[in-house]
Amino acid sequence: MKKFTLVLLLAFSLPVFAEPVMTDGYAEKTPEATLKAIQKASHKKFPEVKGDGFVNGSLNFNPASVESNKYWTARMNDSFDQPEGYGKSEAEGKKLWETPFANGKKFADCFGHGGKGAANDFPKVDPTTGKVLTFENALNKCLTDNGEKALDYSDMKTMGALSVYARHLSDGMRINIQVKTDKELAAFNRGKEIFYGRTGSADQACAHCHIQHAGDTARTEELSPVIGQAAHFPVYRLDKGTDGLKLVSLQERYKGCQKSTGVEKPIKEGSDASNDLEYFHTYISNGMPLSTGVMRK
Amino acid sequence: MKRMIFIAILGALLLQGCKTAEQKEAKPLEMNPEKLMTSSAAGHGNCLACHAVPSRPELVAGNMGPPFIGMKARFPDIAKLKAAIADQKVFSPDTMMPPFGRNKLLTPEQIDVLAQYIYQY
Repeated sequence: MKKFTLVLLLAFSLPVFAEPVMTDGYAEKTPEATLKAIQKASHKKFPEVKGDGFVNGSLNFNPASVESNKYWTARMNDSFDQPEGYGKSEAEGKKLWETPFANGKKFADCFGHGGKGAANDFPKVDPTTGKVLTFENALNKCLTDNGEKALDYSDMKTMGALSVYARHLSDGMRINIQVKTDKELAAFNRGKEIFYGRTGSADQACAHCHIQHAGDTARTEELSPVIGQAAHFPVYRLDKGTDGLKLVSLQERYKGCQKSTGVEKPIKEGSDASNDLEYFHTYISNGMPLSTGVMRK
Repeated sequence: MKRMIFIAILGALLLQGCKTAEQKEAKPLEMNPEKLMTSSAAGHGNCLACHAVPSRPELVAGNMGPPFIGMKARFPDIAKLKAAIADQKVFSPDTMMPPFGRNKLLTPEQIDVLAQYIYQY
């Protein structure tokens, strides 16, 4: 009887994870092996996509999408056509980045090398708390450390623009996420369980669309492979509301995915769970060049 | 006595409230199989998102699932097709097909008419 109670107690004290989908990468025990398994499967499935080509996502699979993307990229960069487009975000971001704080310091003082080569190392894991720190968290930490007010992650006019500009400084530099310490490994595994975990009324996982069915078509849209996805956010997306373009953060995109697969309470942008997912997700893009300021449908 | 009447009226009003609320919530179930198959609106099957109907080029939009072709040969027993729509995970543990029956996305009656409709392809 005592044993039985112990087993029951143990069962309830274990963290409750969603049931995983056993597709490429899940069964591997280490981050390195997980990444290798996903890379191997992706290269086998898409022999035509070479090296850095993965940052182009679903544009690799449909010439018509490439044409449409060229058209919208040109409009995104045309400030007259799209007043809320890339030009504005970059200008607003630059202003925020370069304006000194009340104490005279600037963002560049928090990151070294003027901010160049900062964004491609994020997210990181805080060695004391074990919490994941995204690049946006680091930008906010720089503000609060210098006595300024933090920005709202989901405010694309301020944090979005700042993130676009500050990431742009590291364009072309390769994503280099470290998973070495126990705390980093724990964060990686939390993100991995979310990525492979079935959720929502459709009972689907991120891994279903972006590993198992990457490159396939759903409602006339090709699904992008997981490798390279984290390299270019925030992105400009078509927006039905404004009949133009809208800046979208990576974690807002996570929410969009969850909504379309019937998740009643999606994990919110800026939350710990969302940060864990971003940590795992960005690690899978290790070695890919950062390429901000792009348009994705 | 007055109090009793008051309580009775109050009770009747409350019941009435429940009734109208119920009526408002209950949307008529979609039973048109063509709509169930093609529409992505809530309460529909949205089969076309993943399955193409090769005999109707206007209904070719996805290829995540197998196309609707040779259904009678693939599912000699229609009950198996219905069971797959209800919960494909039973047959294929890592499937991404939504469990329309298990998660009550469609009613058994809707799955019935839908399966019969798809069976023609």
